[in-house]
Amino acid sequence: MTTILQTEKLRVEYRSQEVRQGTKIALHGLNLEVRAGEVFGFLGPNGAGKTTTMNVLLGFTQPTSGTASLFGIDVRQPIARQRIGYLPELTYYYKFLTAEEILRFYAKIFGIASGEADKRIAELLKLVELEHAAKRPIKSYSKGMQQRVGLAQALINNPDLLILDEPTSGLDPLGRMKVREIIQRLKNEGKTVFFSSHELGEVETVCDRVGIVHQGELKAVGTVAEISRGHENLEKAFLKIVGFQTTTPL
Amino acid sequence: MKISPLITVFGLVSLAFTLATGLAPHAEHWSQHAKSDNLLGMMFGDARKLFANQFFTMADVYFHSGYYPSVFDQNARQEKEIISASRGQKETEVDEKKEDFFGKPKDWIDSFGRHFKITQHTHLENHNEREILPWLRLAADLDPQKIETYTVGAFFLREHLARTNEAEAFLREGLRNNPGNPDLLFELGRIYEATLPEPERARNVWELGVRKVLELNPKTDEEKQDQKQTFDKLVVHLAHLEEGAGRFAESIAWLKAAQKVSPVPEELQKQIDALEKKVSAPQK
Amino acid sequence: MNKIFALAGVVIKELYRRKDFYVLFVLTALLTLGAGTANFFHDDKIIRYVKDICLLLIWVSSIVIAIVTTARQIPAEREARTIFPLLAKPVSRGQVIAGKFLGCWLASGIALVVFYFFFAILNGTREHSWPVGIYLQALWMQWFLLAIVTAMVLLGSIYFAAPSSTNTICFIVVIGLLGLGGHLGKIALQQAPPVQNILMVLYFFIPHLEWYDLRDFVVYDQPMIAWPAIALATLYAAVWTAILLFLAWLGFRRKGLNT
Repeated sequence: MTTILQTEKLRVEYRSQEVRQGTKIALHGLNLEVRAGEVFGFLGPNGAGKTTTMNVLLGFTQPTSGTASLFGIDVRQPIARQRIGYLPELTYYYKFLTAEEILRFYAKIFGIASGEADKRIAELLKLVELEHAAKRPIKSYSKGMQQRVGLAQALINNPDLLILDEPTSGLDPLGRMKVREIIQRLKNEGKTVFFSSHELGEVETVCDRVGIVHQGELKAVGTVAEISRGHENLEKAFLKIVGFQTTTPL
Repeated sequence: MKISPLITVFGLVSLAFTLATGLAPHAEHWSQHAKSDNLLGMMFGDARKLFANQFFTMADVYFHSGYYPSVFDQNARQEKEIISASRGQKETEVDEKKEDFFGKPKDWIDSFGRHFKITQHTHLENHNEREILPWLRLAADLDPQKIETYTVGAFFLREHLARTNEAEAFLREGLRNNPGNPDLLFELGRIYEATLPEPERARNVWELGVRKVLELNPKTDEEKQDQKQTFDKLVVHLAHLEEGAGRFAESIAWLKAAQKVSPVPEELQKQIDALEKKVSAPQK
Repeated sequence: MNKIFALAGVVIKELYRRKDFYVLFVLTALLTLGAGTANFFHDDKIIRYVKDICLLLIWVSSIVIAIVTTARQIPAEREARTIFPLLAKPVSRGQVIAGKFLGCWLASGIALVVFYFFFAILNGTREHSWPVGIYLQALWMQWFLLAIVTAMVLLGSIYFAAPSSTNTICFIVVIGLLGLGGHLGKIALQQAPPVQNILMVLYFFIPHLEWYDLRDFVVYDQPMIAWPAIALATLYAAVWTAILLFLAWLGFRRKGLNT
């Protein structure tokens, strides 16, 4: 299977704000591989390095050493992001634009021809159920509606790889179901999905493979069944891998 | 004890009202601004004289259609205002127009920058002199004690724009703000003498001017010099007025008075001699 | 190039959907019309001071629009986190800088055209003259001045965290350059070394914004400036804009943006 997303010995160091602390290592030689067509869940406790990994993959942060590539192209090249869609954890868009305008703007950034963009925008607005509010400025939207705009923009270029950062956080049960539906649909279409999440139940439901990162290193990778082997469920396995000790029975 | 918000607000409003009524009579003494009788004076406060000077300079800039040296220009003249015509001397105006305020360019930046600066020394003419008037009006409003504002304004209104009534009104406004000022009386006399002409009124005004200038008590050398110049121009103009009216004896008396302060007493002596000849000549 | 234009389009939309421009335009129009109704010595042919006041207001307004619009672009993108979905697209940081610059510059240009149109109408109705050539030159030069200002503010917004500090610093720098830039050489000559040398170096290395102020030519009905001089000044502005944008790109290209 083709590798879509790859990191090799990825190391990211931050200079700490406090003088005495020196540098902080966010990623410690991370090796990761996501194959075409799979839904990959990227798990880890807070501060484990999930967000840093995503930041490197999306070009927000420069790695200190090591490499990261998307579709075989170094992530420092903007073209590496031509075939990806990204949904941030918290969605914020230009509030003075309407949903339709924002989608048109991103379509232009992707270089999608005007006619095709019109068609795509109409489809996406229908998919995220925002047709009725398409011409209203985003500032008048509810939080859920804004999240749906986020989802639509992530799909505007019909991406081959979708990167989702905590896609269901802050959503109501209906919104979560919608996101899960879309992930499933993309999987059926043969797309690759890479997402970080705290919701282990959700990961179990939709992921083909899972990677668990802790203290900047990839501690475990495999199918949900492989990782859960010898444990009651994925949650127990996760807690064991990250070294969580309970004082009271769970 | 719980106090209702409404009662608190009512109490505070009452306190503010009481303070306002109690303090209002004293407040007038606290600030000069309160005494200003116009909006501009109130807005600018004590800085109004600075603004008045700036507006007076603006009138000068307008007179030169933007051709004007900055404070940084090395060959900027010592005098801040350069409206030569304000003295009513056309010859000086012609001489001044030959002057280059900027000098030779000092470097390529200066040289290239002159493409975007007005570099032709011109003076307003053909009634376009009216364009300087707003700035003089503002200068007078901001600093009613600045005499040059009235004299320059009146000069342009009278000499270039033929608006004698406005010139007279402007000078009278100046006199209201600066009662008995000899320079203003001199300008007023010129309106009566040359423009209207009403020599009797001119004589009265100038004679008043002479009395006022003699009442001055100059302290500095500069003030003494100004007093002499004002006295000189008043008496010389009076002399010429009397000469025109055929009152040669009075004319000679004024010229003799002028000789005491004039920088060119020998010139005046020639005029006195000529007048004395006229007096001694037999009447035909 | 389409990506840069798309980015610029968003900035322009932002300008006309915010109230800043309309407030400044109405203020300029009201103050000008107010000044125009003043009566000086019962002479209704006095016009230059109205032109002067109107052009001064246009200058102040356009600089305010350029600085305030530009200063908030990158910080607002970061604060509102809109930068993340944007940079997750196939767009380079250089293109973001170029798009933001182009948008702010074009937006300032549109505002300038509206202001000058108002000025031309006002002046035409009072003076019955339409010196279109000098208006165009004045507008063109002012627009290129705004190019330098916009690039400068964009550079500032990369290094200063808050738009308010970028605004204040850039206002001071622009006013300083306009007021003192052209005289720095003369001031230097009056100083002793090493202050003289420092001022001289500064004089030759600062952007000479004062060249782009053609208000006097409009107010005093002066003839048009030679086009080669305008062309050279345009080139000078373009070079300075490029320098400042390049520095902005250098600062932004590796700047860590943490979600």
